[in-house]
Amino acid sequence: MAAAGGEQSVSIRLVVNERPHVLDVGAGETLLGTLRERLALTGPKEACCEGECGACSVLVDGAPVASCIAAAGSMNGRTIRTVEGLAGAGELTVLQQAFVSHAAVQCGYCTPGVLMVLTALLDDVPNPSEADIRQALAGNICRCTGYQQIVEAALDAAGAASL
Amino acid sequence: MQFCRVRSVAEAVDELSRWGTEGHILAGGTDVMPQYLRGERAPAVLIDIGGIDGLQGISDVGGVTSIGALVTMRRLASASLIELRNPALAQAAGAVGAWQTQTVATVGGNVCTAAASADTLPALLVANAQLTLVSKSGRRRMELGEFLDGAGATALRPTELLRAIELEPIGDRAAEGYIKVGRRSAMELAVVGLALRLQVAPSGVVSDARIAVCGVTRPPHRVPSAETALLGTQIDGGRIDCAEAGAELASAAAPERSEAARYRRRVLPGLLGRLANRCVADISGADG
Repeated sequence: MAAAGGEQSVSIRLVVNERPHVLDVGAGETLLGTLRERLALTGPKEACCEGECGACSVLVDGAPVASCIAAAGSMNGRTIRTVEGLAGAGELTVLQQAFVSHAAVQCGYCTPGVLMVLTALLDDVPNPSEADIRQALAGNICRCTGYQQIVEAALDAAGAASL
Repeated sequence: MQFCRVRSVAEAVDELSRWGTEGHILAGGTDVMPQYLRGERAPAVLIDIGGIDGLQGISDVGGVTSIGALVTMRRLASASLIELRNPALAQAAGAVGAWQTQTVATVGGNVCTAAASADTLPALLVANAQLTLVSKSGRRRMELGEFLDGAGATALRPTELLRAIELEPIGDRAAEGYIKVGRRSAMELAVVGLALRLQVAPSGVVSDARIAVCGVTRPPHRVPSAETALLGTQIDGGRIDCAEAGAELASAAAPERSEAARYRRRVLPGLLGRLANRCVADISGADG
């Protein structure tokens, strides 16, 4: 958790994966730090710490945000969704199941961020084109898959969801 | 460091006046937070203005496009008023970072951080952007070109808040666009970015040309010598000859001896030609 010396705390109320929380967070604390270290939600990953790679992506009020450079203090009143909030009662979402079927997960480090961005895309655009999917994922770096399986999984999930 | 949440412009300017250079505005945080995390910036207080509803608007005020400082890149990229009236700005906002940063990054932040590579600045410059800056002692208006031209990073005083940006929309028989060169399609600082606004008289002659660049050594700026070269050019067979303007643009915007400048001189004429012909096609399309 990024906390410089003498950092004061600020109180925030937020809802994370449908559970309300009231937390005192550091003035310079990141949303990623709050999620991982205060709420033990380690799905969002810390990688570049500069908003470059997308591994820390979570949804804030439904839209993807790089949580590694989002100030936790600015999240007062927001609704957050992390990868832990996707599967309900042990059942994977259509998108998550498509990732399994298409072997779209290799090392897995980028997967939580990729799933959140694609979840937001499928909410906004029920039948995205391949170009829509690649554009949406432009801020997510995956060094294993070459993206092809990820794109195929997303297309499959969009098709399945629209049936 | 403290965290101070303000709810109104009045509260924000009170805090700015109280803290001076020790206070730093937090909007989307996509520049401020990485700078803080890297230890490059250590303010005594972050003043979070994200909750000020009055800075969120996009509107048409008597034929002028008015944008609140907190309007995000994502909203600019998709707002129909911006796509219609200031399309270069919509394109530039869509070229900033990636979805994850466009969700929170604000136009006010892009203007006040004033990075050399800031994508929205050329688009704002070709729209003759006027800034409204407020402080406890009042308000002042300033042209963006003047705001960026000072010896410091910008002309923003430590006690001031950027409130709104006013833009001239494109006129009749006019079009504009923004193109950026980078190595990756997202999260890439512009190696060079170019905005062009073009207006063509019914006779087919260019009657107004505005050209601005970012990503070069100087802060983002207009390039008057290239604009002059384009003025009066006759559109011929739906195409526009930009050779002279392209050469002017390259030598004026990237005059240094560095390899980076040499690369920019290579790409700028081509970018101008591509943008100008896209504008001509847009104007003819709207005309036909």
